[in-house]
Amino acid sequence: MLKSLFDLLETPFNRAFGPRDNPFHHLGALTIFFFWIVLVTGIWVFIFFDTSVFGAYQSVEYLTREQWYLGGVMRSLHRYASDAAVITLGLHLLREFAHRRFQGPRWYSWITGVPLVWLVFPLGITGYWLVWDQLAQYVAISTAQLMDAVPIFTDSMVRNFLTESALSDRFFTLMAFLHLVGLPIFLVFGIWVHVMRLSGPDINPPKSLMIGGTTALVVLSLFHPATSQGPAILSRVPAEIGLDWFYLHAFALLELIPPGAVWLALISVTVALSAVPWILRRKTSPAIARVDLDNCNGCRRCADDCPFNAISMLPRSDGKPFDLEAVVDPDACVSCGICVGACPTATPFRRHSRLSPGIDLPDRSMVSLRQALDAATARYPGAIVTFACDTAGAGPDAPDAPHIPVPCLADVPPPFVDYAIHRRGAAGVFLLGCANGACRFRLGLQWTEARMRRERDPMLRGRVDLARVGFSWQDGDSAETAYQRLRERLGRAADRDREAAE
Amino acid sequence: MNHPTRWLVQILAYGAFLAPVAYLSHQPVMRLLGENQAMIRIAFSHAGEPISECRQRTQAELDELPPNMRRPTECPRERVPLVLVMRLDGDTLFEASLPPSGFWRDGQTTVSREFEVPAGTHQVEIRMRDSRRESGFDYQLARTIDIRPHDNIVIGFDPNQGGFNFSGSQP
Repeated sequence: MLKSLFDLLETPFNRAFGPRDNPFHHLGALTIFFFWIVLVTGIWVFIFFDTSVFGAYQSVEYLTREQWYLGGVMRSLHRYASDAAVITLGLHLLREFAHRRFQGPRWYSWITGVPLVWLVFPLGITGYWLVWDQLAQYVAISTAQLMDAVPIFTDSMVRNFLTESALSDRFFTLMAFLHLVGLPIFLVFGIWVHVMRLSGPDINPPKSLMIGGTTALVVLSLFHPATSQGPAILSRVPAEIGLDWFYLHAFALLELIPPGAVWLALISVTVALSAVPWILRRKTSPAIARVDLDNCNGCRRCADDCPFNAISMLPRSDGKPFDLEAVVDPDACVSCGICVGACPTATPFRRHSRLSPGIDLPDRSMVSLRQALDAATARYPGAIVTFACDTAGAGPDAPDAPHIPVPCLADVPPPFVDYAIHRRGAAGVFLLGCANGACRFRLGLQWTEARMRRERDPMLRGRVDLARVGFSWQDGDSAETAYQRLRERLGRAADRDREAAE
Repeated sequence: MNHPTRWLVQILAYGAFLAPVAYLSHQPVMRLLGENQAMIRIAFSHAGEPISECRQRTQAELDELPPNMRRPTECPRERVPLVLVMRLDGDTLFEASLPPSGFWRDGQTTVSREFEVPAGTHQVEIRMRDSRRESGFDYQLARTIDIRPHDNIVIGFDPNQGGFNFSGSQP
């Protein structure tokens, strides 16, 4: 249901931004990009920041009021980019959950993402603390109350923020260190660990989204600048506080339940999130890719295309005159078949020898794919053959056209498209990928398109007219529209051929 | 979707994204105190007396111990809980027995409580027992204070300075 909701939301974005630039397809990268903005603007703000009890508020006020044209905008960008990052982070987490991207070997990316959430919030909280306005006063006291509920501390932390005499300048130095150096270093390290099992991780969003996102935040900063909430006066309690609900929502809970219960709630959510890959694990896992050394020449295309770094190229072990052989890591392979689609030996044209590629999926082999294609083209001669990935759904309503399921479109080696058209007489080939062009296996659609457009090995042979190949995810159109376009192209080509013949 | 429509939808999308950023970064406001209210907080850490007297070890007990651990007295680690009572204008606002911290109950007791009270002149009385005796109190302080709206009155405790103290008040 959550996935359907995302599909529904993403469709208009796909049309407006295009599948490549759809912000929903780059939520993790957008989060990292917003943190880049936070870092750059934070450096500017820190240049003018005074790390003392009496200087902190005044220095931030100077930036906001006297230097509004730059410092004020920088401060606002600092805050709004942080808030935007929480939105994209939350959506990223929800979307990955909706697409069940925690199953199988992908548990690693899921579980390493959980501590990142824990790092982001202290980063925001310490930032609010440094301003030392009435909100900071509230944040300081509330944080101290939370810390006092942790049984490992023997002294009361809250006492440090109840009277002016108890407060020290050095405390601001410590907070500045945590906010500027300590937590960001852990965050960067955490992001590296989070993506280390991915091949070509998406850490930079497309340029159009960077420009659009930055422009939008600058406009917001100019028209609705971030301001402080009056200086902190510890002998007074602010009557009301404008809370940043993205970072400080846990403090609102403190008004309703005791600190111990807030900790319990936070820890429960963390444990539940961490347990998701095991609670919702698949009952059975598909068989992982298997290397057939007799047909592997160590070309390393499978390793280059694997989205999860599951294939290593190791020195040859069978005495054959090649340097390397492919070895599949069973703990990282997700059985997508993208490696099979990259294998140059996976060609259906072989008739005199067995179709046995250098790498193959035992449950969904190339032999069975060719059999399905042969059967489909025999039953529907001259029709459009649709290769559809498992998550693509029913696809275009075309009862007279065969529909061949594959785990991922990139599991279909380009020679199969050639074979369908030139050997089996198909009118064209329609490639039906995951909804809205968001590949379940990260890079499947990207590699498929590059291979078919002859930009990446193994390429589609030059004799195949690309007008006879349709992609469901192009231009942000629906699969039905893309299919109709292919039909129209094929119809026009047929008319031209007929006229030429006459 | 034609170009102008795409641009328009993109602008709307950015607007929809920024709307919660603009609003939730400082709204809705949270009311911490009523118009005519003030806050009294009790905040301190203090260790009660050991739960029982130290006792002299017998010679036989000392002989059983390793040479470097032969201290003549054996004192319990555990501390007594603090008994704290706070009264405002004669009414009991808070009364509790607060256990020491630590797995062995040998740490300080940390007290952190806050009470919302109406502004005005009040008689505040606070008492604490930190010893093994069964009744009565070891420390107490009574003071009439004038509390303005939104004042933050902090009651601390320092045995070296005579016990309880008030800060932020208008005596």
